[in-house]
Amino acid sequence: MASPAPPAPPPALTLPPSQFARLQPHAYLLAHLSPPASSNQLSIRANGRAPSQFRPTSANTGSLTHTNGSAVVRVGDTTAVCGVRAELLPTTDIASWSVSHASASSSSSSSSSSPAAPKSNSSSNSADAEESQIQDLNLLVPNLSLSTGCAPGFVPGAPPSALAQSLSYQILALLHSTRLVRAEDLRVWYEGPSFTGEEGGRMDVDVDVDAEGERDENSAATKKEIKAFWVLYIDIMIVSLAGNPFDAAWAAVLAALRDTKLPRAWWDVDNEMVVCSDVVSEARKLTLRGLPVASSFCVFEADAAAGWRAVIVPDADEEREIEDTAKRGMLRRWILADPDGYEEGLSQERVCLVVDKEVVGGEGKTVIVKMEKNGGWAVDSRELKQLLDVAAARWESLKQILEQC
Amino acid sequence: MTDRRRINGPPSGTRPAVFASSLKSTSGAVIERPRRHRQPNELRKIFLKTGLIPSASGSAYLEYEPSASLAAARSSPKSLIPPSSALKLACTVHGPKPLPRSATFSPNLVLTTHVKYAPFAARQRKGHIRDASERDLGVHLETALRGVIVAERWPKSGLDITITILEAEDDRWWGDAPDSHDAPWGMMNVLAGCITAASAAIADARIDCLDLVAGGVAAIVSDDEVTEEGKRTPKLMLDTDPAEHKSILSACVVAYMPARDEITEIWLKGDHSKASLGVDDSSLNHEALIDGAVNAARGAHTVLVEAVRESAERYAGLT
Amino acid sequence: MVAPSATLSTLNRADGSASYQCPSTGSNILGSVNAPVELPGRRDALKPEDATIEVFVKPGTAPAGVGERYVEGIIKTLLGRVILGREKGYPRRGVVITLAVIGGESVGRGDPYLVLLPALLHTALLALLSASVPLSMTFSATVLAVDASGQIRREPSAEDAATAQSVHVLAFSSKGHLLLNESQGSFDFDTWEKVRQRASAICHGTQLVSADGDVAMVEDVDGRPLEGTLRETVEDQVYRDYNWKINAA
Repeated sequence: MASPAPPAPPPALTLPPSQFARLQPHAYLLAHLSPPASSNQLSIRANGRAPSQFRPTSANTGSLTHTNGSAVVRVGDTTAVCGVRAELLPTTDIASWSVSHASASSSSSSSSSSPAAPKSNSSSNSADAEESQIQDLNLLVPNLSLSTGCAPGFVPGAPPSALAQSLSYQILALLHSTRLVRAEDLRVWYEGPSFTGEEGGRMDVDVDVDAEGERDENSAATKKEIKAFWVLYIDIMIVSLAGNPFDAAWAAVLAALRDTKLPRAWWDVDNEMVVCSDVVSEARKLTLRGLPVASSFCVFEADAAAGWRAVIVPDADEEREIEDTAKRGMLRRWILADPDGYEEGLSQERVCLVVDKEVVGGEGKTVIVKMEKNGGWAVDSRELKQLLDVAAARWESLKQILEQC
Repeated sequence: MTDRRRINGPPSGTRPAVFASSLKSTSGAVIERPRRHRQPNELRKIFLKTGLIPSASGSAYLEYEPSASLAAARSSPKSLIPPSSALKLACTVHGPKPLPRSATFSPNLVLTTHVKYAPFAARQRKGHIRDASERDLGVHLETALRGVIVAERWPKSGLDITITILEAEDDRWWGDAPDSHDAPWGMMNVLAGCITAASAAIADARIDCLDLVAGGVAAIVSDDEVTEEGKRTPKLMLDTDPAEHKSILSACVVAYMPARDEITEIWLKGDHSKASLGVDDSSLNHEALIDGAVNAARGAHTVLVEAVRESAERYAGLT
Repeated sequence: MVAPSATLSTLNRADGSASYQCPSTGSNILGSVNAPVELPGRRDALKPEDATIEVFVKPGTAPAGVGERYVEGIIKTLLGRVILGREKGYPRRGVVITLAVIGGESVGRGDPYLVLLPALLHTALLALLSASVPLSMTFSATVLAVDASGQIRREPSAEDAATAQSVHVLAFSSKGHLLLNESQGSFDFDTWEKVRQRASAICHGTQLVSADGDVAMVEDVDGRPLEGTLRETVEDQVYRDYNWKINAA
């Protein structure tokens, strides 16, 4: 070490990367994303991912004993555990359950001719006239919990934080708007003994489509009524939180619902209650509508100081020009897919896309189920269109993961 | 009562499914109680892994091996009613961190423990708000850990230990009618698991401890086998799964430090007089029961040591 | 299309307030802003260089629930980029916005809150202006529903929204940025592009670029652009407030 260095240089302040990351988070991520132009490197995030790369995802279903369906989904270091428990809601317990309600739903054949038929959904997804029962009777009850010690800052035992409440609501709203669960799957029917006497009082009415069709043909007078509904309690525990809880939670809900089996249930006249069969082969899986997959993004802006006194925000058109000139030189902002906790703390603008694909004539068509952007002005239609392609690619990969588990 | 901070179900409430097979046991095959296939002193395998939750200072995930009956039910499901269940829990440690501004001065590390069942953890749906048994578990866990941590090393600091139970142990076999013998036996197994997992998580958080504390359960059970005199012979069993036994007379859980041969927490429950009635030998008194629990804890300790070594190696590799 | 009507500074005790009546949804919203205020007891949570924004939404009939938390989050995130929280006097202080829904149809459990969102946003903006909180820009928002036949409906009622194929809320800044988009229901990107155009026209009016490059703002089927309506409301108020000065001059 005998170099002719200048005598006694001031000790250089060197920091290991992990400390630099804590002290100057913005500069740290910016340095990663904008490598020197000479190096010819692509911009890469501090966690080693490309901007549009998602974290490795794994899913595992059916491992919890006391649930009707369960799933554990890990997206990087974020882990969500979802358990679905089904309980019965007898119609006698529903205060507003009226005779008209019960009789109206007996004619299930009318559903195919409902006005909502020309939906983009394929014919197998034909709308049910009484589909709103799920929403009206609160048949889906999702709740997300963050007070599991998943990250510092969430006090265990405290009531759900605003974030947890907002996530629970988003999951509920998405379950309703995608109509993922069919109301028909949740009904427990009873067919009065007036039609078929040979089977005695106890008569199980399953929701087999073919059988139902036959019955409808045979006797229009058959008195069919709904005796109870299944209520699905969907509880999501975020066991570990490292950013982007919504994607992981929604994937866990989806996987758990795909795994959910409801026992065969019938009205027992003798006991005057709904009774279930514990035989596994008689239990039915839910038939879900589609496979909506969520992808979240955040926007990281190079000039964090712009927020300080940015009294003059460029017009949208000026912004476009700046953006176009920036293409050649330095980028000013990056859209990061599946942000981790570190990146979420450094960005304000968020985008969330939930997409599904349906096959129309052998060709997959991307359908947007939910699209949210908020907290900034970097993302407009052009960026959203690009993100849609990223989300569609994510749909493919997540579909594979969910189908394997 | 509606909870405004959560999404509520139907206002009238819902009822758990009632299975026909549990209504009329006369018709069809009688469902058998799961049997214990292990030796009386054989423990269930424990899966314990640290560091799965990176945002916490320390974390551990613990899982018991499913019993033979549950494993069989998993591989070839016949009934929707699970025969028994296997403990699964996640433990996180946050801290040491400064106490909140409002807290009074403390010269020691302030330990806070929090045990919560997931709503789907048990056979009966659990509420979102902690009930008495969950608080009870938290207090027991705190006692078990307080004697282990070198608390004076962190004045004015707090340590939060949070345990989420994803799957709990049954208190009795589901087919049994509730009777006077009933006690939350499953809770004792849960506590033993909590102690072992918390110990691993604390070590993973690099908090100074006197020793690795491990939890163990032993119980005196009386099964169906009846002797010639018409008396049941109670037996001492380690790591009992309550679903596998018709009647548990008494049970004991300890938090035990093997290196120092000390017990930091002991919880004994049940009626000993019945067990010792007609049995002259001293093999079934409460000391034997505690010894059994200690032996079970020793078994858990070997798993704990492995998990902590793994955590230390990971830590050494990082720095 | 009947334009919404709004009044500024309706409450005497608040730093700023506004009352907003949206004729199409029948919702009436009263908003108040207190800023800058000290937020005691939360010194640890306050950001050292920025203002802390708090939004409370109170539904008219029921106590607030999870749905309100969600909407509060949306409004808070949006306003976080609009309010200049680093201006003098604002860091380490709070901007507290309370929005009460008075009358109109109540929003049920799990119902999309989207139909009410533009009205809430407008009320918040007007109340902030009334409290003279520094803003980097103003904005205007609208809600559109697309029905099964692809028809775009402006400001649907709650029932229309429930039967619609998709519901979209868009907010544009006074500078033409897309500030907020909340879309629910199933739709494809082309539909959304149409919705965006229509929403932009509602908020800013249609821009007709003639051959010589002149940009002309015109009124079309959507009537006056929303932004103009909001601006006029504020101008009227300013004129009333400074009446003494203007008349004296």
